[in-house]
Amino acid sequence: MTLHGRPFEDRWGPRRARIIAGVLAVLFTVVVGRSAYVAINGPAEAAESVSAVSARRADIVDRKGDLLATSLSAWSLAADPRAIWDAKETATALKAVLPDIDIRDLTIRLSDRERHFVWIQRGLSPRQKQAVFELGLEGLRFEEEMRRVYPRGKLAGHFLGFTNVDGRGVEGAELAFDQRLARGGEPVKLTIDAGVQFGLEDELEKAYADFDMKGGAGVVLDAKTGAVRAIASWPAIDPNRPGDRTEEAKPNRSIGSLYELGSIFKPLTIAAAMEAGALRVNDTFDVSAPLRIGAATVRDPHPLEHPQAVTVSDILAFSSNIGAVEISQRIGAEKQKDFLASVGLLSRLSYDGPQSAAPLTPSEWDALTSATISYGHGLAVSPLAFAMTYAPFANGGEYVPPVFLEPVNPAKIERRRVMSASTARAVMAMMRDTVLRGTGQSANAPGYEVAGKTGTAEKPGPDGYDPDRNITSFAAVFPASRPQFVVLVVLDEAQPRTGDARTAAYTAASIAGRVIARAAPLLDVQPVLNAPAPVSSAAVTAQPVALRTVSEAIAQ
Amino acid sequence: MKRLLIVGGIVIAVLAVAVYRAKLGAETTEAKIGELTAEARKVSDDIAVMKAEEAYLSRPERIGPIARQRLGLQPARPEQYTAAEALSRRLGEERLMLPDSEPAARKPAKPASKPVVKPAQEPAGEAPTQ
Repeated sequence: MTLHGRPFEDRWGPRRARIIAGVLAVLFTVVVGRSAYVAINGPAEAAESVSAVSARRADIVDRKGDLLATSLSAWSLAADPRAIWDAKETATALKAVLPDIDIRDLTIRLSDRERHFVWIQRGLSPRQKQAVFELGLEGLRFEEEMRRVYPRGKLAGHFLGFTNVDGRGVEGAELAFDQRLARGGEPVKLTIDAGVQFGLEDELEKAYADFDMKGGAGVVLDAKTGAVRAIASWPAIDPNRPGDRTEEAKPNRSIGSLYELGSIFKPLTIAAAMEAGALRVNDTFDVSAPLRIGAATVRDPHPLEHPQAVTVSDILAFSSNIGAVEISQRIGAEKQKDFLASVGLLSRLSYDGPQSAAPLTPSEWDALTSATISYGHGLAVSPLAFAMTYAPFANGGEYVPPVFLEPVNPAKIERRRVMSASTARAVMAMMRDTVLRGTGQSANAPGYEVAGKTGTAEKPGPDGYDPDRNITSFAAVFPASRPQFVVLVVLDEAQPRTGDARTAAYTAASIAGRVIARAAPLLDVQPVLNAPAPVSSAAVTAQPVALRTVSEAIAQ
Repeated sequence: MKRLLIVGGIVIAVLAVAVYRAKLGAETTEAKIGELTAEARKVSDDIAVMKAEEAYLSRPERIGPIARQRLGLQPARPEQYTAAEALSRRLGEERLMLPDSEPAARKPAKPASKPVVKPAQEPAGEAPTQ
């Protein structure tokens, strides 16, 4: 091709090619960049959806995996005040299907045109949701939320605690393990055994049928590991309806309440004296006369037979206050205090779980204080803290802190020796003796070799201790020949309806025995079928038997 | 130059189609993920409800009376426990003997390998014997 006789020269050709190549390069970069962006950022929305599903608060299960608490989808009712024409009419209509709402309060809130969102009621039942839907009111909407549910009702209610409407733990295990539960995922497995827990709670409930009482508490724990198998407070609460709790039911008596627990301290007094080398098992004491300490006099409410020469085992079996004071006087206040501190009774317990109340300790640890503490007056502790002090008797003398979460790793248990194995065995034998021939006979669950001690403490009042209001308790270890479990039952102002005495021998001991009989099979404790039958106190001539039992234990 | 234009155009067209298909695929996948997520959540909710119902229905205070009234069950008493080696003493030797063989007449009949030729001739209701 020619132009004006000269061959055609496309002067714009190379430039056009560069422009096209540039445009292609830009387009290519955009396409590749966008592809990379989609590849990197594309799945973000899906991830959010998945995370919304996994945000469900974790379940709580017992040691066998039985469900104790879960989160279920529920509906809540909300409103946009700007879309409501007549707030009072709406509130009045809602009152017909949601009786808990306050018409006046709701009318005020629905009249606030500045707000875009107002909660009306959280956690509607399906029936309530349908009823509200059928009202056909404008400006209302349903919001799906997770609601905490406790399908076993009152079972372990105090220990589990509950959450608020926003799903955050406010009491009990729900509060103690809140961060772990809020993360969702695998259930939180407690050391609690639902079967044992039910047995303990059921017996506390039945105790109310036998005794007029203000409250009760109970603990069952594995002394080898510190794993708490059951922990209960009576009256029980239903965490599904925490607002329905009465004032009497509100405190968790097993963890949050403090009691002077009485003579169940005596085994500790004996152990402390034996550890200090101030007491031998065959020592005898004269408990025939009241002891005068300063302005106070210590007496035995039920004098012992042959009180001029009673053994240590007799002091425990028949719960001699005078004997306990004489033993404590052998070691003095400081050593007594050190021993009680070593078993965790003088400070708040440290463990992973709902926190125990700090003990109420005497401001001055003088001779009188030391004397009264030897038989369980003057030092107020929580039932859980006290139950832990019996673990060393079952554990060869080693203290273990309470554990509430499975799996329990034996290697991580912080054991500490608080007494020798021989002291633990000797006191165990004396406590067994107490159940066989002493004040603890009604706790003798046949086959399960219960060893334990009764405690009857007068409650302090404005004018000193009140003999008409008692805390009765029974602390036990079983089975005595191969001790593994500790049981503590505490009853507040238990008064037998049959007219029997208000002492632990007639109240807490029998409840503890029934708890052990129910719990032992669930805890895989094989009964000992040739165990001696309980001996009635009338038939006892048995001091030699007691000595032999204790001596045999020492000799083991 | 023309060749460059043609090749460039083809590359862009292919890339455009590929991106469009990728976008459609991503939308479809996203929708499917959404559906599956919703389904997973619903199944998860259903499982949670069923577990809660199971826990509610298996409460000891509900099961205990049913077991007592309908099955006659009671909590095991200590004297009902025994060691495995003491079972013979407790129950008697003969009750512990498992039958090694049963009388031939009590054995169930083997199924016939062939259809019975004349079923009408056999007594009605009588099992065939070997």
